[in-house]
Amino acid sequence: MYGATVEPIEDAQTDDNRLREFEARIARGEKIEPGDWMPDEYRRQLIRMISQHAHSEIVGMLPEGTFITRAPTLRRKLILLAKVQDEGGHGQYLYHAAETLGATREDMLDALLSGRAKYSSIFNYPALSWADMGAIGWLVDGAAILNQTMLAKCSYGPYARAMKRICAEENFHKRQGQDIVITLATGTPEQKVMMQDAINRWWWPTLMMFGPHDTDSPNSAVLIRWGIKTKTNDELRQMFINQTVPELLALGLTIPDPDLRYDEESGNWRIGPINWDEFWQVVKGNGPCNQERMDARRRAHEDGRWVREALAAYAEKQSGT
Amino acid sequence: MDTQWPRFIVFLQERANAPHQYVGSVHAPDADMALMNARDVFVRRPACLSLWVVPASAVLMKTAEELARETITYNREDDGAKEPYFVFYKLLEKGTLIHSGEVDAGSPAVALAAAYATDDGQTAKAIWVFPAKAARCSTSDDIQPMFAPARAKTHFRDQAEFHITTTMQQIKRGQDDDE
Repeated sequence: MYGATVEPIEDAQTDDNRLREFEARIARGEKIEPGDWMPDEYRRQLIRMISQHAHSEIVGMLPEGTFITRAPTLRRKLILLAKVQDEGGHGQYLYHAAETLGATREDMLDALLSGRAKYSSIFNYPALSWADMGAIGWLVDGAAILNQTMLAKCSYGPYARAMKRICAEENFHKRQGQDIVITLATGTPEQKVMMQDAINRWWWPTLMMFGPHDTDSPNSAVLIRWGIKTKTNDELRQMFINQTVPELLALGLTIPDPDLRYDEESGNWRIGPINWDEFWQVVKGNGPCNQERMDARRRAHEDGRWVREALAAYAEKQSGT
Repeated sequence: MDTQWPRFIVFLQERANAPHQYVGSVHAPDADMALMNARDVFVRRPACLSLWVVPASAVLMKTAEELARETITYNREDDGAKEPYFVFYKLLEKGTLIHSGEVDAGSPAVALAAAYATDDGQTAKAIWVFPAKAARCSTSDDIQPMFAPARAKTHFRDQAEFHITTTMQQIKRGQDDDE
């Protein structure tokens, strides 16, 4: 035996008491760390959310990745390369955070490649023109930042820390998107048309990114109770609408919503009804690009097989000598 | 069957005289490759002077809550041959684990007991210890090839390079002038 032993103290605590103490810790603003007691449901919800989030970062590389070879200037190309590389890194941060809860990287990867796992519905829409790089950066990354800024305050330490790193980098993503939108919206008539077309296609899918209305969001209550989320889907969506609409209008762009109006009383921009049938179709795998995205991921995994085999063979050889 | 490569915990030093801090983990077939993967995942931006990777299995991790639930029996006579252990504490609620120093111990449990007995150890939210020899550390020779390339790239991956707020204000002001 080693020079010291670590043994559990006789533990008569009931799960009820533990839950009370756990919720008191969250109420005091403490962060839960791996190893701390947590309800099974807290662990389950976090693994679900974090792994979906990780998959979204990984699949999120695909729509923009196709435009790296078609960027209009070398500078834009370097910016886009850096951004897509960041998304890959963010996926890795998040897989790590899920691993601290007992999920394995292998299992999560398998869930993604086999189609068991979900990822953000937004990435099942196609990127059709260069203007889409602007729309994705401003709208999609802008929406993601609101969600992630909230999650940076989450009660689970490793998730909150990953989010903090990610938010610092995402701000660059949003700004490079705004830079593209401003350039095109103040450019030639053809560029303006191209930009408006991209906004028309990305506006509604971006609003759907925040998830179902609070009344149809079964997980919300428990997520808020345990400090995983601090704002509801509808609250975040409204924040996004309020901050984005005036900026796009100032650029002479229009929002593809005939019901959009400013509500003087509340200070909110009110939108028309969201097409939830479309949202659920995309979530269920019937979006415009679901199959294409999965095929691309599987192909990348298969094409990388020889690299993994070479690395493993090299490591084995090194350890043998 | 578990076919995934071992997991290595990654610690990063942002600048001279700053302690290494825990940032995440990578999977790799060996420590050298883990260091390269850590560089690719965590040093896309230039704030890095040094990286350490340590097999996750070599790190003894305890939270304050776990330590309160457990008794550490500290027995000097049973201690093995002494070797240096790195000690990491999480001292701030919103912070991460920060390198605080080394202790000499004959086993991970003794190193943990020694780390727990200090003032910082008593207030820490979490304590990690691992043998110094388990870490693969980048050296000063690695700074140029591994971390310097990121320095030349800040002009296109730094949010400060995009003056969006100013530009939008100018556009809005221009519209006010027209009216």
